Amino acid sequence: MRPLSITFDPTLIDSHVVIVTALGYCIVLITLSAMAYMVVRFHAVRDYLTGRRLKKVSAIESKTPPKAVMTGEENAAIAAALYLFFSELHDQEKYVMTIRKVSRTYSPWSSKFYNIWNVMKHW
Amino acid sequence: MKLLLITDLLKGIWENTGFTNLHWDNGIMILAGLILILLSIRFNLKPLLLIPLALGIVIGNIPFMHSAPYPIGIYAEGSILHYLFFGVLKGIYPALIFLGLGAMVDLSPMIANPKLMILGAAAQVGIFATFLGAAILGFPIAESASIAIIGGADGNTAIFLTSQLAAGLKSLPEGEKVMGLIGPVAMAAYLYMALVPVIQPPIMKLLTTRKERLIRMKPQRTVSRAEKIVFPLVFLLLTAFVAPASLPLLGMFFFGNVLKESGLTRQLAGTVSTTLIDIVIILIGLTVGASTQADVFLKWESILIFVLGALSFMVATAGGIIFAKVMNLFLKEENRINPLIGAAGVAAIPDSARIAHEMGQREDSTNHLISHAMAPNVAGIIGSAVTAGLLLAFILR
Repeated sequence: MRPLSITFDPTLIDSHVVIVTALGYCIVLITLSAMAYMVVRFHAVRDYLTGRRLKKVSAIESKTPPKAVMTGEENAAIAAALYLFFSELHDQEKYVMTIRKVSRTYSPWSSKFYNIWNVMKHW
Repeated sequence: MKLLLITDLLKGIWENTGFTNLHWDNGIMILAGLILILLSIRFNLKPLLLIPLALGIVIGNIPFMHSAPYPIGIYAEGSILHYLFFGVLKGIYPALIFLGLGAMVDLSPMIANPKLMILGAAAQVGIFATFLGAAILGFPIAESASIAIIGGADGNTAIFLTSQLAAGLKSLPEGEKVMGLIGPVAMAAYLYMALVPVIQPPIMKLLTTRKERLIRMKPQRTVSRAEKIVFPLVFLLLTAFVAPASLPLLGMFFFGNVLKESGLTRQLAGTVSTTLIDIVIILIGLTVGASTQADVFLKWESILIFVLGALSFMVATAGGIIFAKVMNLFLKEENRINPLIGAAGVAAIPDSARIAHEMGQREDSTNHLISHAMAPNVAGIIGSAVTAGLLLAFILR
């Protein structure tokens, strides 16, 4: 192995190295801080826009007249009507349309053609 | 006559074998490679990275006749290994790994709590301190930068910077030829990435009190899809404008992230984050390992690079933790940061974040720091890549 020739002499460092060190670290810190700042500002803009939208919605809601409060009898009547309507529904239907062909086994008892033919023969 | 010919042939074969050309330094490196393989398997130390690397060490140190008429070694022009090493020498592999990394990484923790990004910048103090230290020890400025970048704890950034600053054949004043620093720098960086669970915890414990380790951080808010798409583009523009030299890394990183977050290119994101990155890791591990050919690698400078790299990594870890503690002085009680996550400011992703989480769990098993620690960890990758770009720009101007 080649002998190690290492010197420890701080005076050997030129100012360039010190400047690169200081400036480089500052730039890295500033860059990542700027990234963080952008995210924070994005939130602020988003919150501002969301706030304006919410304000608009609340303004529209405030213009509409308040609905009349229903009495207990009216509520009971609606509940009874709904109960009666749903209790009438005794069959569960599959409301699905399909193009699947229904297979039906052939039988002379259910064959229209066979019956008509026989009737004609005996006529 | 025939007997003479056979004897000559046998002699030629014997001279070509590894037994004749074996030198003690090759033996040491092969042994080191074998130990590394065993350690990696036994202790599950980043096997995906260390096994190709360690096998590369073994392959790169198989002794052969240097005067052979056919190219064998990784430094012999025209050899297969040399062609594979091209991706390291020209910084191609690191760029491709950054592409895959970008497609794997989630920027949400960073967007949800942006102040944690500053921890990723703070941890870069290790790089700059070592840069100064290496220059004091007499290393030329380009080599100092290559050694210092090990503190970023990201092997890919280290390879990228060293490939630009201190790669290739060099002639020393006394006529000796050395092959640049890419071998030792890459080895040190990858080794310290694997040794994060060993190096970081003592520093974390030393610099924090129990009370600080128990700090619970506020749960993170949900990040919208729009934010996940917008911010990679914003970050790309900002970092590329500040340090254009880091574009091969950060351009690929944010490109990969956009592929993932756009939601429409999942197939591409899936390929770069799995198949492509696996292929590149195999190639980079094998060739970096093989670049530790004993006659080039086994020098006092390599040992010094390992020592300086370790110091750089330790200073970076300490820098992140101390900066988190300083930030806490200015933050409200409910917004305080657990200083353990400052250690994740180094770019060893996701190991340093996992270590911060585990250290927190040792004190309080219900305190989950992993999602918070991922923010400085990702910022650390970006920070070290920006640092590499700045060093390149400063030195090669």
